[in-house]
Amino acid sequence: MITIDYRSREPIYQQIISRIEDLAASGLMSADEQLPSVRSLAVELSINPNTIQRAYNELERRGIIYSVAGKGSFLAKPSEAVREQKQADYLESFREQIRRAVSLGIKLEVLLGLCEKYYKQAEGGASK
Amino acid sequence: MIVVNGVSKSFGDILAVDNITLDIKKGSVFGLIGTNGAGKSTLLRLLCGILAEDAGTVTIDGERVFENIAIKERCFYISDNQYFFSNCTPNDMRNYYADIYRKFDKNRFDSLLQSFGLNPKRKINTFSKGMKKQVSVICAVSAMTDYIFCDETFDGLDPVMRQAVKSIFAGDIADREMTPIIASHNLRELEDICDHIGLLHKGGMLLSHDLEDMKLGIHKIQAVFNEEITRESFPSLEIISLDKRGSLYTIVVRGQEKEAAAALNSKNPVFMEILPLTLEEIFISETEVTGYDIKSLIV
Repeated sequence: MITIDYRSREPIYQQIISRIEDLAASGLMSADEQLPSVRSLAVELSINPNTIQRAYNELERRGIIYSVAGKGSFLAKPSEAVREQKQADYLESFREQIRRAVSLGIKLEVLLGLCEKYYKQAEGGASK
Repeated sequence: MIVVNGVSKSFGDILAVDNITLDIKKGSVFGLIGTNGAGKSTLLRLLCGILAEDAGTVTIDGERVFENIAIKERCFYISDNQYFFSNCTPNDMRNYYADIYRKFDKNRFDSLLQSFGLNPKRKINTFSKGMKKQVSVICAVSAMTDYIFCDETFDGLDPVMRQAVKSIFAGDIADREMTPIIASHNLRELEDICDHIGLLHKGGMLLSHDLEDMKLGIHKIQAVFNEEITRESFPSLEIISLDKRGSLYTIVVRGQEKEAAAALNSKNPVFMEILPLTLEEIFISETEVTGYDIKSLIV
């Protein structure tokens, strides 16, 4: 469920955070679902349990997960703040995409046309 | 917790360890990195009480380690060239260590030996180099000690075994706060398991840092701007290096990723990409300040 790219430059700590954030955002994990324990995840991925604990602490600080003493960590209900943060992050990366499109010489009309087309497709897919 | 306070050690007129001070917290994974002859093995042997300090002190939980049986019972040292009694089998080694380490878990030893596919009755001197390393590691984790000192232990293992050993270590760190101290000359080897790294050079400690802090506190940015950029263009950022190749700037910045991105975005870059640094690059940046040419020091 949570995988790590050992050759990636992205720190393992951040990889774990973004994987769990993605799981929560995409709805693959639902609210109040239990996350793997620090120990089992450490053994499974052969990485330092302290790294995972740290990632969990950060996720808890961001309000994405919550922990119950003696039971483990669970996915929190997606809050408005988390959603807004996700959207802001996305829009920031979108800016990067547009910048790339401009440097490749793609016309604004083409981009806008595709935006509309893809948006409608995705919306249609989501409502089904 | 291991506390090393101003420790030096020389062999004849060779100063192997020169006035080193460091702390190793319980339950962390400490990586010791340095070239051949940097003093890694000597430091390890000082830490687990095989060698006596010439100056300074090495203590574990406040007690001196050297010749202290109660403390040494909590340490297991996996030497670079391990020693096995002549003609002995893994079972003989198990019985020997079980005599010395009171917490030695024989059942764990047997089951690990089986899962590594090693014959407990075969003579160890007929084993390959890597298999001998495996026997040592199995002895070490079965001894259930608080501290495990690994002297280039991972270097002789194949990738599958390396993952297996790291996974066993991970379990023990989580279950009973075992503290591995791993010496290696290979940075990549330490990157995914250690949370604290000490860099040794010519017997001295160049730096000792928390790995994630190092990684999160330093960023490499590649960007193209429409205007000329200098260090002075970003007064709010702590710029470590600024390179220009063609129109592409490579900037290494200390600080938070968001702040760095915001400052650079204010100059309207044509293209911008933030890359996390590898451990190698971090060491290069961190030590350039102290005037070392680290590129020749690490593999």
